[in-house]
Amino acid sequence: MNKVLITGSEAAALGAKLAKIEVLGYYPITPAFPAMERLSKYIDDEELNCKFIRVESDHSALAAVLGASLAGARSYTVTNSQGLLLMTEVAYHAAGLRQPIVMGVANRALSAPHSRFPEQGDAVSQGASGWIQFFCENNQDIIDNTIQAFRIAEELRNPVMVNYEGYIQSHTLEEVYVPDQEKVTVFLPLNRQPALDITHPRGVNTVTSPEFYTDYKYIQNEAMTEALNVIPRVAEEYNKEFDAESCGLVEGYRLEDAEHVLVAMGSIVSTARILVDELRKEGKKIGLLKVKVWRPFPAKAILDLLQKARYVTVLDKNIVFGVGGALATDIKAASYGQDNLIINGVILGLGGRKCGVDEIKEAVNHTESSDSDKNRSEWIGL
Amino acid sequence: MAVKNLPIVPSGDPGALAEASNAAIQRIKRPEITDLAKVNPIVLLYCPDGAISLDENGILISYKLCKGCGICAKESEGIVMVPEYTGPKGIF
Repeated sequence: MNKVLITGSEAAALGAKLAKIEVLGYYPITPAFPAMERLSKYIDDEELNCKFIRVESDHSALAAVLGASLAGARSYTVTNSQGLLLMTEVAYHAAGLRQPIVMGVANRALSAPHSRFPEQGDAVSQGASGWIQFFCENNQDIIDNTIQAFRIAEELRNPVMVNYEGYIQSHTLEEVYVPDQEKVTVFLPLNRQPALDITHPRGVNTVTSPEFYTDYKYIQNEAMTEALNVIPRVAEEYNKEFDAESCGLVEGYRLEDAEHVLVAMGSIVSTARILVDELRKEGKKIGLLKVKVWRPFPAKAILDLLQKARYVTVLDKNIVFGVGGALATDIKAASYGQDNLIINGVILGLGGRKCGVDEIKEAVNHTESSDSDKNRSEWIGL
Repeated sequence: MAVKNLPIVPSGDPGALAEASNAAIQRIKRPEITDLAKVNPIVLLYCPDGAISLDENGILISYKLCKGCGICAKESEGIVMVPEYTGPKGIF
C-alpha cells in the first residue's frame, strides 16, 4: 500500500480505477469534474479499460450508465447539485431496477439562489430515492468507500452514492493510502448479473399493476434494510484485507464517558473532532459520533452509541424546509421514547458559509443553554 | 400475507403488455361465468367494452376486451369477479 498526496476528486477517480470500472457516463459539472478528468486520463493512458460515454446532460449520463449496468457492465458516474437533481428521475429508475451503479457526488448547494459552494442539500434531496448513501469525512474515506461501494452494490443489487463535499474535499490535497491493485481485484470479483440478454429478450421496467408494485417496493426495502448488515461486514473485510481503518455504519470518538455527543456526517466530522479534543483538554465530557451511512438510516447503531449521553447536538449542512436538518430529524425520530436525551438539531455551513470550530462550539453551548428550543432547528452563523 | 416471487429487475416477457392474450395487467379482477343458465343477457348491453357476446353455445366473455369493471357481475346472477392474480405469482 503506497501513500500519495491527492485531492478528493482524484481519490474518487482512483477508487473507480482500482475497481476497474468498464463504463463511465459523464456530463461536466463543477466541482465534480476533476474526477472525470482524471478518469479520462487513465483511459487515454490505457491504464483503465473503460468506455467513456460523453452525453448531453446529467440525466443522460445516468441513463447511459443505467443501460450499461443492465447489460452487465461495472458502471460509474460522478456529479453534484443541479446535475444530481437532473438525474433524479433516472436515479429512481436505477434503484427500482436494482442496478449496482456507484456514483460519486461532490456535494454542492442547490439553486436558487445559485451557488457553487459546498453543502449536503443535493444528497439529502435523494434521501427517498432508494440509493445507499455514504458520507466521507476525508479523502481516505473517499477511496475506501468507493471501493467498498462496488462490493456492497453488487452484493445487494442496489446503487450506492458516495458523497464527498465540493472543494472542501474534491479540491483539497490530503494524504491517502492507496490499496494495491491486485488485492482490490480479489476484493471485487466481477460477478456480472445482466438483465439484458439478446438470446432471451425481455422488457425491462414494464408497467406494473397494483398487484405487483407493492411487492416490488417491499423487496427493494428489504435489500436496503439488509445493507445495514452488509456494510459493516464489508468494511470489516476491507480493513482486514488492506490494513485500513474505514468506518462501518457509524464510528464513535471519545464517547466512553461523554455526556454531550456531537453527531455529524461528511467533512464537518473532522472539524468536530478538533473541537472535541479541545474541549476534552478543558475537562468537558464530550464525544463525537460520525455517521458514514445515512441511507439506509442506521438508527440502532446510532442509538447504541448515544445511550450514556445527556445532550446531543446534530450538525446538519442541509435544510429540509419546514422540517429542519435531515440527520437531526432522522435521529429525533429514531430516538422516540428515549426521554433522557436532549437532542438539538443545528443548521450551519449552508452554501459554503463558514462552519469551523467556533461555530460548532457555539452549537454545543446552545444545546446546553436553557433557551435552546429542542423542537426546531437552530441556525448557527446567521 | 406472502410476498410475491418477483424477478429482482422489474421486467416482463416481450409483448406481455399489449399483444399477448394474457395482457390483463390493467385488470385486478376478471368476470367468470359460474352458472350460464342464470346469466341475464342484458349484460350484453351493459358491458361498456363490448366484451360480452352471444353465440350458439351461450354467453362468452372476451378477456382481450374486458377491463374488469365488474358491471356484468353487479347486474346479473351467474357471473362473479375473481382475482386476476392469486398467491405468490410472478412474471406476467
